[in-house]
Amino acid sequence: MSLDKTIKGLKTSFSKELSKSKTSQDLENFRIKYLGRNGQLASLFEEFNKLPAPEKPRFGKELNILKNQLTNQYQNALGSKSEDSTSSNIDFSLPGYNLPDGNIHPLEQITSEIKSIFQSIGFSVAYGPEIDDDYHNFEALNVPKHHPARDMQDTFFINPNAVLRTHTSNVQIHLMENQDPPLRHICCGRVFRNEAVSYKSFCLFNQVEGLVINETSSFAEMKGTLEYFVQEMFGKDTKMRFRPSYFPFTEPSAEVDIWNSKLNQWMEILGCGMVNPNVLSNVGYDTEKYQGFAFGMGIERIAMIKYGIKDIRLFYQNDKRFLEQF
Amino acid sequence: MKVSLHWLRRFVDFDLTATELAEKLTMRGFESEVVSDFDALENLVVGEVLTAEKHPDADKLKLCSVSDGSETFSVVCGAPNVDAGQKIVFAKVGAVLPGDFKIGKSKIRGVESFGMICSERELGISEEHDGIMVLDESHKAGTPIKEVLGPLFNAIDIEVTPDKAFALSHRGIAREVATIVGSKLKAPINSVKLNPKSKDVISVELDKKGGCTRYIAGTIKGVKVGPSPKWLAEYLKSVGQKSINNLVDISNFMLLEIGHPTHVFDLQKLAKPAIKVSWAKKGEKFDALDEETYELSADHMIITDTKNTVALAGIIGGIDSSVTDSTTEVLIESAYFDPVVIRKGSKKLNLLSEASRRFERGTDPNAALEAFNMIVQLMQEVAGGALESVITDECSMSLDNTSIDLSFEKLLKYAGQEIPSKDIESILRGLHIDAKKTKTGLNCSIPTFRTDLKAETDLIEEVFRCYGYNNIKSSFNYSSIMQYANDEESTISSLKHHLSSLGFHQSYNNSLEDVEEVKLFGKDAVSVMNPSSERMNTLRTTLHSGLLKNLDYNYRNGSANTLIYEYGTIFEGKTDKLKDIIQKSSLSCLVHGDVFSKNVHFDSIPASFAFLKGVASNIFEDKRLGIKVEYSEQSHHYCNPYFLIIDGKKQVIGGLGIIKDSLLKQLDIAYKHEVVVLDIDPEIFTDYGSYSTKVEDIVSFPIMQRDLNFKMDSSIQVGDVVKTMKSVNQSILQNVIPVDIYQSKNDMSSKDVLFSLNFQSPKKTLEDNDVNSIITEIITIVAKKFNAKLRDN
Repeated sequence: MSLDKTIKGLKTSFSKELSKSKTSQDLENFRIKYLGRNGQLASLFEEFNKLPAPEKPRFGKELNILKNQLTNQYQNALGSKSEDSTSSNIDFSLPGYNLPDGNIHPLEQITSEIKSIFQSIGFSVAYGPEIDDDYHNFEALNVPKHHPARDMQDTFFINPNAVLRTHTSNVQIHLMENQDPPLRHICCGRVFRNEAVSYKSFCLFNQVEGLVINETSSFAEMKGTLEYFVQEMFGKDTKMRFRPSYFPFTEPSAEVDIWNSKLNQWMEILGCGMVNPNVLSNVGYDTEKYQGFAFGMGIERIAMIKYGIKDIRLFYQNDKRFLEQF
Repeated sequence: MKVSLHWLRRFVDFDLTATELAEKLTMRGFESEVVSDFDALENLVVGEVLTAEKHPDADKLKLCSVSDGSETFSVVCGAPNVDAGQKIVFAKVGAVLPGDFKIGKSKIRGVESFGMICSERELGISEEHDGIMVLDESHKAGTPIKEVLGPLFNAIDIEVTPDKAFALSHRGIAREVATIVGSKLKAPINSVKLNPKSKDVISVELDKKGGCTRYIAGTIKGVKVGPSPKWLAEYLKSVGQKSINNLVDISNFMLLEIGHPTHVFDLQKLAKPAIKVSWAKKGEKFDALDEETYELSADHMIITDTKNTVALAGIIGGIDSSVTDSTTEVLIESAYFDPVVIRKGSKKLNLLSEASRRFERGTDPNAALEAFNMIVQLMQEVAGGALESVITDECSMSLDNTSIDLSFEKLLKYAGQEIPSKDIESILRGLHIDAKKTKTGLNCSIPTFRTDLKAETDLIEEVFRCYGYNNIKSSFNYSSIMQYANDEESTISSLKHHLSSLGFHQSYNNSLEDVEEVKLFGKDAVSVMNPSSERMNTLRTTLHSGLLKNLDYNYRNGSANTLIYEYGTIFEGKTDKLKDIIQKSSLSCLVHGDVFSKNVHFDSIPASFAFLKGVASNIFEDKRLGIKVEYSEQSHHYCNPYFLIIDGKKQVIGGLGIIKDSLLKQLDIAYKHEVVVLDIDPEIFTDYGSYSTKVEDIVSFPIMQRDLNFKMDSSIQVGDVVKTMKSVNQSILQNVIPVDIYQSKNDMSSKDVLFSLNFQSPKKTLEDNDVNSIITEIITIVAKKFNAKLRDN
């Protein structure tokens, strides 16, 4: 078959001539001769079009193989000749583009980490208002109007009956008012305290609180849940302890400390307890049937422990030199 | 509350150091810190000052030689009272004082000093720091200080939580210590029968409305004011209090001894030896012991001698009826006041006293009589007086124990594990709670001093905390509880990560701002009634204010290029009523300077309006959200221009604008380029569902591209031309992109705009003929509508 021969001939002359092409100009002329729109390969395809239909499949395949071979050979030759080309003047030592480097705020990172730990054990996330009435922030949580426990949280008032929430526990009340048990939620967001601003306290901070209500959740389960959290958050070997404390909305109440081996001391990281039946009856739950636990922690405090940050105000200054470290 | 171990030992024998005691109490729910543990202090000895001469180089310093019994050290001391011959507390090199204060060798004004002579404050004994602490001469130099000061001054500080009123005294804490170490509580002041000398009766009248439900009064005559005996002064000193005189000291001592406040009036200064408890008249002025005058209101409970107000009940006594050095006859008050009445009264005047702190937490009504008896006895012993009148005890309240049922089933359900009933009973016994077995558990008789125990769960807490929280085994098997965990903000979270990967920093700004600054942003702001500072008295109405501060801060700190955003709550309100306040989540971006700075590869790419518009379309026109946005210019309080971003349903979903220079100047923001802001309504992410993706078929037919170059008036908005072109054909004209604008310097009235048009059909490969008619139509319409001429290039 003449086409068979032509293919073979083309292969040979292609290789020969390619090896002789030294400069980039030679290569370009070579490309036009063989691979160009009117080159030898193109005319082969034209001949192919004239073939009778039964022969087309075989030659079609061979021609495609040929085309690939020749193109590859040419590309390789082009690559190896690149020291001749003008583009060889690229200075590869130059720095790459300085792409803008964005960040997620460290408090957001810690919040996300906490959220995902609790989501992994079935806690949904809830949100609620930052300004709320006295009832949802205090009274429903078993903190009556003239109770000394109010001194535990210095409060910003919007009007005598509305406050900037002092904790995200108001969200728990809204949740329970709108939903029947079982509940397994965390709430997170900003809370406010009327405290002097210093390296260790700010007029607001971020909190994550959890609430579990059903027919069986016990103190032991609360301990297990929080141990799981602490190990996920601070490492499997973290030493921790539960110590009795007081919160009006839980009874019994506890605080959790983790051991800081660098400072050689316990550090308080969260408060928790069995939800006070008064709180449950305030939202109309049957306290004979339902029980559960709640816990809460400050994000800033955890971020400070985790990242070794000594001044809480840094979180709200948004100095790029600080943010870029996260 | 500072608690002295010396004082605790009046009530209970125990063998614990201050450090051990603090640890044990902490684990019982009384968070404690060591104030001074002399047992733990090394290198502290009695020193003898051999010589004390003026420092050669400093007027106020003295150069002393101090002997520790065997060696003599040169020590520089700044105290004015240091003198040769004194026995003092000598901290040698290597000592560590409370507060982790390490003593090393030092050079003070050129003179070497080997150790320190300590003041009381440095030792944690009191606040006294005007001079050094001088010890009794009888101590031998070299004696370890723990032997000299330890017995008296070992002390801890306990943070008593608001519920535990019973723990605000040494006896209260001692009860707890007794259960910890398992020993018995002692009664240091034995109650003896008090025999009045006369048949005088002090009349006491309570108010029918309540507020004061027990008032015990009696008089003592023949008291002699003078210095306190040593033992009394020492107890006060052990908690850092100064001895004043025997009468005042007795009163202070009783408060810290059993926690029940009492008050002593100078009998001769009362109009009548009679007491009437009533309510203040609104606006009534009251001169208190602290030498302040208070204006009272109608809900302040007062004590009168039937004529004048002599005390603000449960809070503070009056100055006119107070005891002085010349007092010889006193009237003693020991009462029970309602916690809420005291709390309200003290809060209203912002006047907290040791008495009010205890009354507002709830005192033991039985302790009122106990305290009265003890104080009379102490007065007779220490101040030489004798009970004159019959004791009046007006009481309208129950003095009986209450009872609470504790069910074992509930306890088990709460704990999640069995606690042996033997342990439960012994715990309750230790807490002075009598427990009788019932069918289902225990019937517990609660002593009146445990005002905090009101419900079954309170008892459960007592059992748990004494059993030890760490002895309750955790039992949570989280893998067995699978539940769908939802977070409505997960799409916002994706958006935050998206912005960060585009190069934005996430900001967290204060929600509280200066009202004067908030006003500049032109919205109805919500203010705080009781701000901590004027600079933080109003809630932000926009996130722009904080972002501008971040720009300013970073610019002034050498970083002009700012790509920043915040997600947070903003507030608006026509009034301060909750129903009028709008609080909503908001997301804003702010850019200034360059996205890319000039470099060897290319010129700078500014963080301009166009950049942020690109960010907007990148977010909104994300295929998964699939929003088609339009921009509609609108006047804005502090942006010019400002464009509302509108979706296909004609809802405003954001905005994009350039902040006016005037605002930047008013706020004194450092900047040099345009400051552009983008607002995104986070609600769209919930409205539009969570990124539901529907895959479209990929069109495999080739795209045909044509360029059109028009000359048009400079004032024509290219966006309008694009829109017009697109409207000509919606089936195969896929996109119109302006790729070049040429403005000749010679002719500012017109510009050349090159448009690239992409055509593609989902059905077939397009031929010239398919496109040509559309091109012709576009040229005609654009020419007509914009008076634009096609240029042939």
